[in-house]
Amino acid sequence: MHIVDGALSAPVLIAGAALTAGGIALGLRQMTLERIPAAGVLSAAFFVASLIHVAVGPSSVHLILNGLAGLILGWTAFPALFVALLLQAVFFGFGGITVLGVNTLNIALPAVLVGLALRPLIAAGGPRAAALWGAVGGAGAIALTTLFVAAALVFSGDAFVPAAKLVFLAHVPVMVIEAAISAAAVVLIKRVKPDLFAGAPAVAAV
Amino acid sequence: MKRILLSTLVAGALCAPLPALAHKVIASVYPSGAMIEGEVGFSDGTMGVNVPVLVSGPDGKVLATLTSDDEGFFTYTPTQAVALTFRADLGAGHVATASMAQDEVARIVGKGAAPTAAPAAAAPDTATSAAPDTAAAAGATSPSAQGATPPSAQGATLNAAERDAVAEMLRDELRPLRKEIAAYREKNDLQAILGGIGYIIGLFGVGFYVAARRRLAQAAS
Repeated sequence: MHIVDGALSAPVLIAGAALTAGGIALGLRQMTLERIPAAGVLSAAFFVASLIHVAVGPSSVHLILNGLAGLILGWTAFPALFVALLLQAVFFGFGGITVLGVNTLNIALPAVLVGLALRPLIAAGGPRAAALWGAVGGAGAIALTTLFVAAALVFSGDAFVPAAKLVFLAHVPVMVIEAAISAAAVVLIKRVKPDLFAGAPAVAAV
Repeated sequence: MKRILLSTLVAGALCAPLPALAHKVIASVYPSGAMIEGEVGFSDGTMGVNVPVLVSGPDGKVLATLTSDDEGFFTYTPTQAVALTFRADLGAGHVATASMAQDEVARIVGKGAAPTAAPAAAAPDTATSAAPDTAAAAGATSPSAQGATPPSAQGATLNAAERDAVAEMLRDELRPLRKEIAAYREKNDLQAILGGIGYIIGLFGVGFYVAARRRLAQAAS
């Protein structure tokens, strides 16, 4: 999921960095006082979760939790995930500095899309609906991320179908796990702090 | 959500000791006599089998395409004294590069061209850690790094073939160590993880401060 330095061509890197800068600006503008703690917690959760490799069958995967971040944070997921990715690149050499923009885009944009699409549904529905949409969001964000990663590779010269298949298949277990975690988290938040979903993210005033 | 995070962490901690295929690719190259030997593998110590490795010069032109063997090793015999870049591509964004500086390649090329003429001069450019041992094995005769005295002038020193054999042996002996060091370098220790979490908390604390100040200023005006 973290593309490393040197795997992508320059136009892809520049486009990724530019789009990420836009996303971060948008996210920071919506980062209200109330949302900062949630952003910090999700940033830290992503930072730790993607360091822990869980063996699944012959290979191993790590959680990403971007669906959950998007559902809770909306556009604010961009700065939150960017910070975590930056620290991972600096501390552990996961990804790299030049690909930071593309990696942030690949992980945060699906989060935002999932958040925009599903937040109203979660806010409006009952616990059962919330669990369902949470699961859809968790799995959907990963699926979108794999597609974005494959697309980034394709624009750098790889063939799309094998690249996409490889990344997508490797993350099917992650999707299942993330769906379960997101569903559980969404139900829990619905119960203890429903206003986290109530505020419309796209129009939050600063 | 706290409970979820906690259980995720616990589950992760339980699974952490299992051998896991980390997704980070590492490659390294080092001189091996008249050849350049390299290896490619994953950061947890498993090797990259049958991985295509592209060798390119300083201008980015591809000089050769190699394939790693079933232990992740590949060899390349340089013909020109130019800086070389080795790029292993395992697909799906898994790429690793390793490079060798021009002077190092030049020494290897020199050795390949005249293997018998200057065996002593070539000794230091075998794997760096092997060089002192080779020199020690050569006995207390004149320092081999000078290369001025031909081996035949010293009765007790090793001849070129023996020297190469010793170097080869040492390389084999050092290989597991090198692998272990490479894996160790990629290890994530708890301190770094905790440090990262600290950074995140601190950064968002600063954000909180800025946002709070802005709100206070708004309230005051």
